[in-house]
Amino acid sequence: MRLTVAFVLGATATLFAQQTAPQVTFQDLRNGLDDPTRWLTYAGNYASQRHSPLTQITPQNVNRLTAQWVFQTDTPGKFEAAPLALDGVIYVTGPEDTGWAIDARSGRQIWRYRRDVVSGVIACCGRVNRGFGILGDRLFKTTLDAHVVAISTKSGAILWDAVMENYKNGYSGTTAPLVVKDKVIAGMAGAEYGVRGFVDAYEAQSGKRVWRFYTTAGPDDPGHRTWRGLDAKAWEHGGGSTWTTGSYDPELNLVYWGTGNAGPDYYGNEREGDNLYTASIVALDADTGKLRWHYQFTPHDVWDWDSTQVPVLGDLTLAGQPRKVVMFANRNGFFYVLDRATGQLLRATPFITTSWAKTIGADGRPQLLPGNMPSEVGTRICPDQSGGTNWMSPSFDPSLNLLFVTARDSCGVFYTWKDDYEPGLAYRGGAVQRITEGHHAALRAIDVTTGARRWEFPYAAQSWAGVLSTASGLVFAGSSGNFMAFDSRTGKNLWHYQTGSPLYAGAITYMLDGRQYVLLPSGTTLTAFALPESTAERQ
Amino acid sequence: MRSVAAVATLVLLSELLVGARAGGQNPPAAGAAARPTMNPLEGNRDAIQNGGAMFRNRCAGCHGPDARGYLGPDLTGLWASGWTDDRIFTVVRRGVPGTEMPAADPLRAPDRDIWQILAYVRSLGGGVPVAPPAGNAQNGERLFRTNCSTCHMVGAQGGQLGPDLSRIGSGRTRTALAKKVRGDAAYTRPGYEPVTLVTRDGQRIRGVRKNEDEFSIQIMDMRQRLQGYLKANLADIVDEQQSVMPAFGADRLSDGDLDDLLAYLHTLRGS
Repeated sequence: MRLTVAFVLGATATLFAQQTAPQVTFQDLRNGLDDPTRWLTYAGNYASQRHSPLTQITPQNVNRLTAQWVFQTDTPGKFEAAPLALDGVIYVTGPEDTGWAIDARSGRQIWRYRRDVVSGVIACCGRVNRGFGILGDRLFKTTLDAHVVAISTKSGAILWDAVMENYKNGYSGTTAPLVVKDKVIAGMAGAEYGVRGFVDAYEAQSGKRVWRFYTTAGPDDPGHRTWRGLDAKAWEHGGGSTWTTGSYDPELNLVYWGTGNAGPDYYGNEREGDNLYTASIVALDADTGKLRWHYQFTPHDVWDWDSTQVPVLGDLTLAGQPRKVVMFANRNGFFYVLDRATGQLLRATPFITTSWAKTIGADGRPQLLPGNMPSEVGTRICPDQSGGTNWMSPSFDPSLNLLFVTARDSCGVFYTWKDDYEPGLAYRGGAVQRITEGHHAALRAIDVTTGARRWEFPYAAQSWAGVLSTASGLVFAGSSGNFMAFDSRTGKNLWHYQTGSPLYAGAITYMLDGRQYVLLPSGTTLTAFALPESTAERQ
Repeated sequence: MRSVAAVATLVLLSELLVGARAGGQNPPAAGAAARPTMNPLEGNRDAIQNGGAMFRNRCAGCHGPDARGYLGPDLTGLWASGWTDDRIFTVVRRGVPGTEMPAADPLRAPDRDIWQILAYVRSLGGGVPVAPPAGNAQNGERLFRTNCSTCHMVGAQGGQLGPDLSRIGSGRTRTALAKKVRGDAAYTRPGYEPVTLVTRDGQRIRGVRKNEDEFSIQIMDMRQRLQGYLKANLADIVDEQQSVMPAFGADRLSDGDLDDLLAYLHTLRGS
């Protein structure tokens, strides 16, 4: 009897502890990768550096890296998600509004989440998803029908479901949310369908929307004067979607988010002006969503050069001065360094071959070169519409001051024609024709203090892979299905593993039971790599 | 913005039109709208022009302005690879679930629009010649067996170093085929690009590239064997400019024989 009471009391205490101790706090998110057993945000930490302090896997032993388990998603489509790792469990989303909790030790499924994709959902470039956000015992996810949902980490059950916008008008959700304090910050997609872009914040507890920042400036916004021309309502369907996760500076309390192309993509005649805040980075107050500053990379975008790359925060010494910066390798082919408190441009250098502009002027505007506008007969322009890089995450090694970015030199023939807006229909105003000659894809290391290229590793084909680096001096990236490891100082290839499918995501890494794991989404698989146990123990 | 009434009228008109063109060859199932299985507007100049305009607005963003593919696949080779009008129409109407290819809402894209777009796409390079070329197809077949079938398959017969030509008659114009035979065509189909591998001991292996990544290359060599090589074991990989297909100049194939060969190729439309 006494035993029974003790058991009941013990069980109650355990239950109480489980219910009251949230798994993930805001402070945990601030700590980023300081706890090496965890990977809690899209890019590892709020600075989005994707650079792990882990050192068990080194340039010397990486050639012994071995697959430990494979999880099959059984879900075809581009696997673009960044997995989260928390206390021995992996949380990852897949295409077609799917998600899983997986035992990080064995690769066995714990639960599966699936939301039926409603008929009529429009997604220009794949019915994909880039991952969960997490806070407490909740995961947060955008959905293809443009909702944000909260999901229990314990069961995959839906806890709340908030509508961002009506998917029938071309809106969709593919972005991994960024959790800041008690808010879930989410982006949307759809600028190929005449949407009006925004960044939203929802209460993590209730799903109530707290703020929204529109990326096309309405009449009450000073940026509205940058929407001129025949279409007085161009800003209402002017694009500027926000489909890649941003970054956060807790000291400045600013969220940094990239914005997508102006719409229609290639036809700008009826939306004269810079078209703020498309193809820009915006710095938003995390509590209110108010715009603190913006910088537009591609004024009056008619090339579909979304600035939906990952903003990477870093502290650099430039010209002898310590600077808090945000770094941005842009689809338009330039690598930018901005003061992240003010938005002042500190440096911009091309990291690929560009034809549309060779330099960015002292006023922060690109010095456009003639003959690089889309036309009815077609104009050859570099880079092409897919850009010098794209959504794939770069990584930043602060000890080397190197940014590692998946890059491509390419040109396309850009056509333009008038397009009329109709809700829910494609609204591109042109198209791009592929040019295969001269295409060159590579992993490039950029010295962020000078913009100079330190090294490159050429790929056999275009890559969409994100990058991961580690403090041991390794860079993980890939192409053509090959997952590869490089020496971060020299770019020398040290190891590869053919996964059998093009890579659309980057790897993450974490410690578990004394072993460093590297986890990679590819095709319909999630593969966990580690050194053989005997090797890991010797480290 | 189009009015609903206007769209409804257009749908009705188009269905009547298409239905009338279908004639008796394709009786409608009970309760189903009549739809022909072959494009009633193929080769129609107005349809091709209208289809081109609609293609630019609705399809070119993914498939490229020339339909040769960008984000979405190349469409110009569909017929040559065995797709029928009916199958292509069905894909456009229903979309491809799980991909970016949307279903075409009948209110926004009536059947006639789709047929016009198909007429346009088929007119792009890969279109069929309107009239069969002059020439003796029987002699052409004999020439084919002598000169071409070592490398090209027709039906289940022939080699596989070059592309299967079983449906080439519905996929390439006479001009394009003549250029290819004479060795004047710059384009080589993916999977058939000429390449020479040089091994570390100096051996040169010629063939066509089937696949390649950073560490390996897969080819079919000139003896039609599929081979994979690790690049670490190769001294060089040379992208050849010259196709592995020999050029048949007038000295090897007279103009008359070329006509006969083209006449035969024109008959190859699959079974």
